[in-house]
Amino acid sequence: MIRYMDVLLLLLAYMMYIAFLVRVFTHVRIWLNAAVQSVTYTRAPLGSFRVCALTAMEVLFFRKLFANDKPLWTGSWLFHLSLFFVLLRHLRYFLQSVPVCITAVQPFGIFAGYILLIALVFILLVRLYSGEKRYISYSNYFILSALLLLSFSGLLMRNFFRPDLLQAKAFILGILTFRPDAAPSGILFNFHFLIALLLLPYVPSHIFAAPLVIAEAARREEGLRMMMHEK
Amino acid sequence: MKNKNSFSKGLSKIQFMELEACTQCGECLKFCPVQEVTGNTLISPPEKIRLFREFIRATDGLKTRLFGPGEIDRRLLEDFTKAVYECTTCGACGQNCPVGIFTQRLWPTLRKEMVRRGLGPIGIQSDMPGLIGKTGNPYGKPAKERYTPWFPVDVRIADRADTAYYAGCSGSYEAHPMVRGDVLVLDAIGRPFTMLPPEEEVCCGFPLFITGQHDMLEDLTKRLVDAYKARGVKTLICSCPCCVNIMVRDWPAFYGSELPFKVRHISQVVSDAIQEKRLVFSEGLQEKIIYHDPCYLSRGVGIIEEPRRVLKSIPGVALLEFDRHGVNSRCCGSGGAARKVFHENAIAMGRLTIDEAVAKGADKLVLSCPACYAKVNEAMVGHERQVRIVDIMELLSGLVKRGQL
Repeated sequence: MIRYMDVLLLLLAYMMYIAFLVRVFTHVRIWLNAAVQSVTYTRAPLGSFRVCALTAMEVLFFRKLFANDKPLWTGSWLFHLSLFFVLLRHLRYFLQSVPVCITAVQPFGIFAGYILLIALVFILLVRLYSGEKRYISYSNYFILSALLLLSFSGLLMRNFFRPDLLQAKAFILGILTFRPDAAPSGILFNFHFLIALLLLPYVPSHIFAAPLVIAEAARREEGLRMMMHEK
Repeated sequence: MKNKNSFSKGLSKIQFMELEACTQCGECLKFCPVQEVTGNTLISPPEKIRLFREFIRATDGLKTRLFGPGEIDRRLLEDFTKAVYECTTCGACGQNCPVGIFTQRLWPTLRKEMVRRGLGPIGIQSDMPGLIGKTGNPYGKPAKERYTPWFPVDVRIADRADTAYYAGCSGSYEAHPMVRGDVLVLDAIGRPFTMLPPEEEVCCGFPLFITGQHDMLEDLTKRLVDAYKARGVKTLICSCPCCVNIMVRDWPAFYGSELPFKVRHISQVVSDAIQEKRLVFSEGLQEKIIYHDPCYLSRGVGIIEEPRRVLKSIPGVALLEFDRHGVNSRCCGSGGAARKVFHENAIAMGRLTIDEAVAKGADKLVLSCPACYAKVNEAMVGHERQVRIVDIMELLSGLVKRGQL
């Protein structure tokens, strides 16, 4: 049976989803309106081996961050990797029939949940106590805090206050298919779900932009060798 | 309908992506020379990006589309303008940015936007278009004084030649030993070269480009390119990294087509000449020298090895390196046309370079940029640590055989 709280969560879910789409749409529109300018630096071809290798090293292993800041790299890399597995694990709540690969990844997802919390705490400590980190924006603190709460509440549910997982899945699928169902009872699930919703419009745009910018930087870095050296 | 007030319309598509890609992680702060001497995070790279994103949101966001534009606090715009002009545009932030934002190009683009809004440039930078229009150089010095104070009397300039030398305004008016060294070394190589008459060798446009004042750039570029073309030039040699930068990167865009000649930094030509034994040393140098990579030469156009090859070929020399060198070099403080406006910052940055050179035990600090040369020499005045500053070609000109061919 659907309760008031469920209705509230459902409304919030749709609102946040719309907010996310509006944000994406607005950014794409601004991007389309940006000037078409000829690139004024020599670029190596996108398909060249070195450009692909540099881009892959950067996207997968944060090469520059590793070279410049090993503690932050450790936290950051573990955070991204563990978040990836945690999200993979959560896919089972979003898919009617769960593929074998998602089932297979479940143990890794659970382990990654612990690593995620440790990585987030580590990043926060590095941010707060590293003398060289003289800058951190409020939005960084907000996202970091929200992720910490999300991660912590997720682990609490996993270990101590297990919600009805079948009901959780029915609730999520109900939202996706526009056939609302009741949320599992328990304040922890509601809290976890609310924080996730809160983060949805804040899905950092760098997730989409960074790989393209990294590839462009790799082309430029490679092109730098050629810029003044063509015969 | 185009939004004339838009903050995003001056950005290229990749630059908009770059703004999006910044996570404000703050890694760049460790490499920012302005941060090093001011400690003011409000003028830091991520803060500038954050503010500019706010401006874009204010003029291009959904709220503005639905309800019309709101007012952006004038004070905030002025603070941002100051921050974006206080930067030396050295590009070290972008070089070390985990996502590789091309800041050496982004900051000048943001400056151009502030000029469009009547907020930039700052201080005497706004005099530059008028001075260049009147005298051909941003210092407002007479064209007849461009070569005479430093040009060696025994060097002959060809009327036409495959090779031309562009001295540049900063070298000609503010770093005489450097351009004199250039000409002496080119003469020692023994191949004829031409130069434009002083009234025709106008500003390359870099100071205008870097301060966001783009109105005259097409005209200056066409005058220079056509003048070299008329002299049959196939290779244009220059020692100023800023000039080389705009020639290679932007002249083709302002000229409207590929340049009819290639552009080379003088260290490339000299390195080749040494290798081919066209340039021979008459004496060596039993000294430890340290070479400072100019930002617009190393990060700008990728000339890193050639100056080192030239210096290593001097008999007896021991070449030292700064902790940060090559593409990671630390700005000496004179870049981005900030040195004349934010003088104290520039002096403090210059002294960091001097201090490291002294700490490394260098007998000489070798520079390769007229702006670095002028400002680091200025930073030396009254500083407790002293080291002999020399330009790379100034040093070489005293060691090579002239007139052997």
